[in-house]
Amino acid sequence: MENTPLSVSAASALVNQTLEYAFPVLLVEGEINSFKINRDKYVFFDVKDDEASLGCFMTVWQLRMPLEDGMKVQVVATPKLTAWGKFSLTVREVRPIGEGSIKRSSELLRTKLEKEGLFSEERKKSLPKLPRSIGLIASAESAGYVDFLTILGSRWGGMEITVANVQVQGVGAAEQIINAIEYFNHLDVKPELLVMVRGGGSADDLAVFNDEPLVRAVALSSLPILTGIGHEIDTSLVDLVADVRAATPSNAAERLVPDKREILRHVEVSSIRLAEILERQTVKIAEKVVLFKERGLRRLALRLQQSKHEFAYRTQLLEGLNPSAILGRGYAILRAVDGTALGPKQVGAIRIGDSLQIELKTHILSVGVKNVEQKT
Amino acid sequence: MSNKKPEPANLQTQLKQLDDLLTWFERDDFDVEAALAKYDEGMKLVSAIEDRLQLVENKVEVLKKRFDQGT
Repeated sequence: MENTPLSVSAASALVNQTLEYAFPVLLVEGEINSFKINRDKYVFFDVKDDEASLGCFMTVWQLRMPLEDGMKVQVVATPKLTAWGKFSLTVREVRPIGEGSIKRSSELLRTKLEKEGLFSEERKKSLPKLPRSIGLIASAESAGYVDFLTILGSRWGGMEITVANVQVQGVGAAEQIINAIEYFNHLDVKPELLVMVRGGGSADDLAVFNDEPLVRAVALSSLPILTGIGHEIDTSLVDLVADVRAATPSNAAERLVPDKREILRHVEVSSIRLAEILERQTVKIAEKVVLFKERGLRRLALRLQQSKHEFAYRTQLLEGLNPSAILGRGYAILRAVDGTALGPKQVGAIRIGDSLQIELKTHILSVGVKNVEQKT
Repeated sequence: MSNKKPEPANLQTQLKQLDDLLTWFERDDFDVEAALAKYDEGMKLVSAIEDRLQLVENKVEVLKKRFDQGT
């Protein structure tokens, strides 16, 4: 044998080289055991299954969620042989997986942040009443994003929405969302508020919203943040620290702006009431005119008569504008499928094949467009 | 992103004014001359509110910027 013997350090280095070459990164799933933090800096724990166990090492600043023995975790790590011959996984990322572990981890974090006062009502900012500009943080392919924008658009118009397209689950998502929050907060011209939405998902899918650095970033945002994450029952730590929490992405749109259809209805009702009041008044005035004439107060009677005409004229005007009166005269109201009335400005966007609603005095028809011809 | 002063503040005011007007009319024994002026005011408010609410769609811009590298 002609092999030159290696020194111990060389042997160790050789093994490490081989490991680095063969396994640059390992993804391992197992249960945490013997978790401890030394000197507030160094984190040691074993990750194990029924038959084997591997030691892990990381620094405390890499911990994005609290961990404890018994939790199931996924570890992204590089295998290493330490100078003292201990085989260890140097952890790049670790996160709890599975509903039980995620829940436990977020409970631990919740207690910690609650003590710091991060969830207190005093910290929460109120949302602007009718925002003109919004920063939206979401995944532009997700259902939550579509739901939010659809409901928002049917309720209110004239807003400018800038979208930060980010991942909303999995590795790297938390950092992306943090970057998006900081991006909006440091713009020269900032939006009036930020909205963070994502649709429903499993505990694993939603785990990113319990990530400690992300929760802190939401708390520190100087722009108010409205969240609409998951389903009604999903409450993440980001929800708790947000300025306003909506139950879902759709609910976020409802909390943010009023429904213009309701306001229009209210205005319609108001003008009908006004017309009724004026009609009553016209009758009263007519009675007064008769009275004045009887008492020989001719000039007063004349003036009142004039007012009555003016009232009647205006009542007619009002009724003319009142949609039910219009319908009564045989005209129809054209609406889109969602009920929005289509005025002259919107008619240009109608295409063959579109579905429309026609409201008549007594019926509502659902129709399809066969042909569109612009009058010259 | 707009840094104009938000005009919707006027909408809130307009709605409030309309409601106040109605309350005034509901008193039922109002002065006829005053009523005519108030009525015209009411009609203008109704028009203005309806115009504002028929507003165009929202403008949505998806940033091309990627957020997986630090800002």
